[in-house]
Amino acid sequence: MIVTSKRRPWLRILGRVSPRKRAALAVLSFLIPLALWCATSYVPFIWHPMIRVDDAGDASWFSAGELVDGDAFAEENARIASEHGHAAAGRRANPVFLPAPHQVVRALITGFTTAPARPEEPWLHQALWHSITIIFWGFLVSSLLGFPLGILCGALPGLARMTEPFIEFFRYLPAPAFGALAVAVLGINDAPKVAIIFVGTFFQQVLVIANTTRRIDAGLLEAAQTLGASRRHLLFRVVLPGIITEVYTDMRVLLGWAWTYLIVAELIGVSSGITFFINQQAKYRAYDKVFASIILIGLIGLGTDVCLARLGKHLFPWLPAAHVRGRRRANAHEVVGAPGLIPMVAATEVDDLAPDLSGARADSPVVAAPEEAVSA
Amino acid sequence: METLALPSYRQQSPAVSDRFRRLKERPVILDVRNLGKTFEGRAGSVVALDRISFQAHRREFLCVIGPSGCGKSTLARIIAGLDAPSSGQMLLDGKAIDGPGPDRGMVFQTYTLFPWLTVKHNIMFGPQVSRGLAGSTAEAEAEEWIEVVGLSRFADSYPHQLSGGMKQRVAIARALANRPRILLMDEPFGALDAQTRAQMQSYLLQIWKQVDITIVFITHDLDEAVYLADRVLVLDAHPGRVRELMEVPVPRPRTREQFVSPEFIAARHHLEELIHPPASIETEPLPIARMTVVGDDVE
Repeated sequence: MIVTSKRRPWLRILGRVSPRKRAALAVLSFLIPLALWCATSYVPFIWHPMIRVDDAGDASWFSAGELVDGDAFAEENARIASEHGHAAAGRRANPVFLPAPHQVVRALITGFTTAPARPEEPWLHQALWHSITIIFWGFLVSSLLGFPLGILCGALPGLARMTEPFIEFFRYLPAPAFGALAVAVLGINDAPKVAIIFVGTFFQQVLVIANTTRRIDAGLLEAAQTLGASRRHLLFRVVLPGIITEVYTDMRVLLGWAWTYLIVAELIGVSSGITFFINQQAKYRAYDKVFASIILIGLIGLGTDVCLARLGKHLFPWLPAAHVRGRRRANAHEVVGAPGLIPMVAATEVDDLAPDLSGARADSPVVAAPEEAVSA
Repeated sequence: METLALPSYRQQSPAVSDRFRRLKERPVILDVRNLGKTFEGRAGSVVALDRISFQAHRREFLCVIGPSGCGKSTLARIIAGLDAPSSGQMLLDGKAIDGPGPDRGMVFQTYTLFPWLTVKHNIMFGPQVSRGLAGSTAEAEAEEWIEVVGLSRFADSYPHQLSGGMKQRVAIARALANRPRILLMDEPFGALDAQTRAQMQSYLLQIWKQVDITIVFITHDLDEAVYLADRVLVLDAHPGRVRELMEVPVPRPRTREQFVSPEFIAARHHLEELIHPPASIETEPLPIARMTVVGDDVE
């Protein structure tokens, strides 16, 4: 093979990664852990600490199909050998809590089509949907209060001094610690779960959004002031649009945090949602379904974030990131240097010192040309 | 060194002296009286501006220059109302001013366009917030201003799609759309490359000719000051004081060919002497050892 161009290494410090490589690397980031999982599951000499018994032989305490600890199996066979009995046979296997990828994939597919073990238990999709509604309400209530309060704290240092020290204290209190209290106040159903999500999100949200708001370019505020903006204008027409893109990114991160409180929240009161589902499957030792559920949570979280990122590009068209290939506007530099860009009202050189305009100001912002003024 | 035989910067042709006579007959727009600014720091107080007084007449182009640290930017910020003076007062059209207002437009060195608004909406911002204009009226006015600065093709572009020079043209249009009495410009072309800067200076003179506006232009570039200004306010540093208010003897209309005219060189030379007195330029030789191999063909 002839090397025609010098290949640029993709692991340069702070180097740029081309979009094609970026996609390939993104796929790779999933393939690497998957490959490790496959290796552990399908290559018999990697790990596999257990023995799946095929033929119990003269073994005293295990039967065919049973999963036995490797050392215990060897010990038992040694005992059988010393008694000249019929040795047990088996294959190396992984513990029950590590299902192989194909089992999890099967569980993912069948999970939605298989009825629950007991009629009072939820289907997988019902459990998931219940979890999503808990997250939704918790995050919505938190944002409805946290977003405006965060912006106001960022914009008004006086308000920040009055609220942030307490919020700073409160955010160190672990949200699950309020579980018992939430149940006592709000009952045992969904309300305390929403409350835990709220407690876990709200205080961080206020601080994060306030900090983002404080990072607004002070020059924009000064420019707006010299243009006659009032306090209300500054808040709604400068601060808010000025930081909204950053806050949007903050909100995406915070939504991820809200998910981390979900499992704890769902254990409070009557266990419900995906947490209940996972716990039930673990009781049935259906670890493939446990894995499938955990993966589903990840997929929902990642999917939401990707959708929100896409939505952001549409919501904030002024971001350079929205500079989608092929949709670029004419390059600005083409125009600089083109002559005669400023439309001259009159190319007169009679008296370039502006005409005396001691009378009323011209109504149009553009003053009449000297010649016209003379003739008028 | 032989010195060139230059005319005095005070020597004005009849046309120029006539212009200045008429300029001074015009009403005073900005009247700065004994303005002072003291910054209180941990190491004691620093006098940034000390009893600054000057007047700008209607449609005058006034440049403010001075060595770094003379407080020229502070002066612009105080006039704009962004900083409060420690003493003295300012009158605009004879009325005392306090705090920022739409009667004093400002163009900053850093591009302060609102990134979330298109060129057109950036220019509409002032008329909408200060005069409460309806969208359609403001839009019509904005379009007029976009044409004045020659950016009609970019009315719907966002700031990040524009070059530095174009951004400053939008900033100028945005400030002027508010119909201020004076336009304060704080080293507006300082961040631009030399070629764009020269273009912007010409654009600014063209705009100033068409619009009823008094310009106070802060710069540290002597050529820029002489090329643009009617009068140049020269400040001293530490503390910032008025050194001189120089009348530029270069006739208008200004062209870049005038950079080598005797009046231009005389005016520039005079500013140079005011700002960098020859004694202060003498620097101590740096204690640098010779880094090249002896025998290299240098010097």
